[in-house]
Amino acid sequence: MSQAAKKVPVSEAKISLVVNGDLYKVRVQSNWTLQYVLHNELGLTGTKELCNEGACGACAVILNRRAVLSCMVLAIECHGKTIETVEGIARAKHSLVEAYVKHSCMQCGYCTPGFIVTAKALLDRNPNPTEEEVKEALVGNLCRCGTYPQHIKAVLETASNLRGG
Amino acid sequence: MTDDEMAKMLELFDNLRADKYPLKEYTSVGRRGVRRLDGYEKATGAAKYTMDVQLPGMLYARFLTSPYPHAEIKSMDTSKAEALPGVRAILRYDDPELPPEADLGGHEPSSEPVLLKVAHFQGEEVGAVVAADSEEIAEQALKSIDVEWEERPFVLDPEEALQPSAPLADPESHPDRNLYWEDVEKHGDVEKGFAEADKVIEFKLRQSLNTWIGPERPCGVWRWSGDCPEVWVKQQRPHICKRAIASWFGGIPMNKIQIHCLYQGASFGGWSQMSWNMGGHYCAAVLAKKTGRPVKWVFNRREDFYGGEMDEGVYYFEVGTKLDGTITAVKGRAVFTNQLLPFFGFVRHFHENTKIPNIYGKTEVVRVNKGPTVPTRCEQNSNCHSLTLVFNHVADALGLDPTEVALKNDGAEGHDMTRLNSRKAEMGFQVRDSLKECVEKGKATIGWDEKWHAPGTKRLPNGKMHGLGFTWTHEWEDSAGSSEIGIRIERNDGTATIFGCRADVGLNAETAYCQIAADELGMRIEDVHYNPQIDVGFFAMTPDSSTNMSVNGFAVRNAARLLKRKILEAATSPRAATQLGSAPPAFPGKKPEELDIKDSVIYEKANPSNQMALAKFVGYSGAMGPIGSPRGEPAPSVKGVRHPFTWPLFAYGWQVQIGAYAGARLRLCRQAHFMEVEVDTETGEVDVVRVVTVNDVGKVINWEGCEGQQYGGAYMGVGRGRSEEVVHDPMTGVMLNGNLLNYKIPTMLDIGRIDTILVETGMGYGPYGVVGIGEDVATVMPSLISPAVHNAIGKWVDDFPITPDKVLKVLGKA
Repeated sequence: MSQAAKKVPVSEAKISLVVNGDLYKVRVQSNWTLQYVLHNELGLTGTKELCNEGACGACAVILNRRAVLSCMVLAIECHGKTIETVEGIARAKHSLVEAYVKHSCMQCGYCTPGFIVTAKALLDRNPNPTEEEVKEALVGNLCRCGTYPQHIKAVLETASNLRGG
Repeated sequence: MTDDEMAKMLELFDNLRADKYPLKEYTSVGRRGVRRLDGYEKATGAAKYTMDVQLPGMLYARFLTSPYPHAEIKSMDTSKAEALPGVRAILRYDDPELPPEADLGGHEPSSEPVLLKVAHFQGEEVGAVVAADSEEIAEQALKSIDVEWEERPFVLDPEEALQPSAPLADPESHPDRNLYWEDVEKHGDVEKGFAEADKVIEFKLRQSLNTWIGPERPCGVWRWSGDCPEVWVKQQRPHICKRAIASWFGGIPMNKIQIHCLYQGASFGGWSQMSWNMGGHYCAAVLAKKTGRPVKWVFNRREDFYGGEMDEGVYYFEVGTKLDGTITAVKGRAVFTNQLLPFFGFVRHFHENTKIPNIYGKTEVVRVNKGPTVPTRCEQNSNCHSLTLVFNHVADALGLDPTEVALKNDGAEGHDMTRLNSRKAEMGFQVRDSLKECVEKGKATIGWDEKWHAPGTKRLPNGKMHGLGFTWTHEWEDSAGSSEIGIRIERNDGTATIFGCRADVGLNAETAYCQIAADELGMRIEDVHYNPQIDVGFFAMTPDSSTNMSVNGFAVRNAARLLKRKILEAATSPRAATQLGSAPPAFPGKKPEELDIKDSVIYEKANPSNQMALAKFVGYSGAMGPIGSPRGEPAPSVKGVRHPFTWPLFAYGWQVQIGAYAGARLRLCRQAHFMEVEVDTETGEVDVVRVVTVNDVGKVINWEGCEGQQYGGAYMGVGRGRSEEVVHDPMTGVMLNGNLLNYKIPTMLDIGRIDTILVETGMGYGPYGVVGIGEDVATVMPSLISPAVHNAIGKWVDDFPITPDKVLKVLGKA
């Protein structure tokens, strides 16, 4: 082994993750982020890497019912945990998805899954958010294309529909 | 295509006139609520981007970058890196595999060295590229490369770079001085204009470097299938990629190159023009050949911050005006940095857009040790800054309402609206006053007349100073370009597929093209689909060269009209010969002109109950074998039913047209934007509480798409005007904020409210009178923050971005 390789000791571990209701057993290196594992190892490419430092929200997933930035979470720490990604939200036919399409909340679309995940986590804990609460929940999600106003409409409308309003 | 049809299509290329063949009625075009084609894919995370591509055995390539703003590699030892487990190949600048130069032009063909030996800015890709089993190993290998650098002196500031004593920023290309482009745009006689003026004002503006920040990192994937390259491009110009690739390695036939242009994590034009974009592909191709494996090259997040929009610089203005707001002369000098395409100037809008007869603008472009600057949504930023500030400074100096000054000077090429209006009529357009309509709508929406006040006079109950700002200019589509579009009616279900490879950067333009095709064909919008990602040899205008909607719109329309004709001819002709005799026409005894199509159903105009759905008419897929065969035998399961087969229903359309940059067209449509701010005079913070954006797009094809550009443009504009700046350390030349924490793009909370207004005067040169909107708002909006802040605090802060420290400085508090 070369000297440089010796400098970075990498341990591996086999972990279990329940992602979107499916059990995965996956071998991860200790420095792999949850985003990396979801995107590159499990092929759940809706979990996007954008800033890679917790500044943009594109990689948001729901971990134990809370929206977290998966680029700031080590996969190895998620052993046994339950994770929901945008693919799971879509599979469950959450009405946010259609509201997002209707209100044209995407342009390039790279950040869109992160918004949907964050919005879903918001609606899970607060089924009747005010506009200010929606803004506060989504302010950590950056959209370079500037689609922000459309998200607010979509989330409020979804909340209303889910309440049967 | 008949001679007549060809003549008609060529006539459409004569685009110096209004569209002669609009539709009588529109079903999908201009209808709200048309479901966007990419919406579900993007909302569910299913949309695939180049960054998502993983191929079996794929390697990852990373580039060495310069730690210094100006330095030469004297020697390089890659042996330690080569020995790392997982490193599969290293390409060096001195490798014999690399030619001295290759075509790496992202915008136009341009011969460049593939791997440089000298870095001209910190962060530039130089010297080596490593392919390894993972990005992480490649990164580790880069750190193991020993480079002996010879540092050189550097310069960052444009005006310092002009000094005779300044270090040479790029002696390889510019051995004598840093100034490498000078140009003068001149109309009339400015000295005469100043002599006629009642008042002459002077001011200076400074624009810092800002950049695109593509959400998807720069990357690309190359796979050799034998001698055929298969290439995934994160590039807004797939056709230019293909053309460049065809020139590499002694020439690769075009028909062996397969381009995949997946969804694009936007880059607003900028990134695609970088030579290191195509350079990445070139190196990946060599590495893929060496290793026999596919190679994905990637930049890290920071590396996407090098280079930027081409408006960075210092601008000086002298403006002559009459007391009533009639501007008699505009004279300017601007020093820009590192422009790759230095010919857009900064005073052109005065000529294109106003009756100001005397204009003089001297552009100087200097090389500094930062990345190249390229059109980034878009090349007209500097022109917009100039127009916004000249008009607002004039209004301020005269104590006039800036909307009145705009209307007073509206015109074209030194002439007033009388001349412009007569040209509109000659070209066959309705004669409408676009600016007046935009201004009136915007003023009413923001409550201009009630809210407008003298600068620095309105303190709000929250203690902040209230300001209003206004700016305007012409519409924003160059309308030049070429486009090829194919449309096929699919067998089995009669749906239509549009072909024409282009980059989908999220404008929802593909849906708009489907709307055009649907209305022209008489089809339901849900039966029309556009797949822009596949390379079938047709290339449409892609988000580049500031032209999409008018050129592609015409090409789609041309194709759809020809296809409709073909469908109706097929419907009245005998269908395919079969073993059992030919099938009769679907509409026996009828002529094509007696038929029409509506809601995807062919019908007889005189007897609408005589109808057949397209889906039934087209028959089943070909090459099915004896059962339900193209030759028309009865299907055994359905006794006596034949499956008649029409000829393939496919047509292509194309469009080639000249545009406004060439000076061939007068700009007829206008846009007007309004901004309301609150300025905290203790902290210098500027809150943008409201934006009203009004665009005359001629005719709206896709409402949500247009409004998306207005929203997005407002946010990007406010970011550029208020917070976005790529900062370099003056001592070391190192970029300091190449990340999304310290380079501040707007968040959801950065604009209080946006009202979007679309005006439809029909005065665009595209089909049905349309003009594009994608670049408009983001380009005009950034400098609008200056007059709004001025109206709030009574002082000018013409130094962009207008950060709190600059506001406090003019207030004497910092």
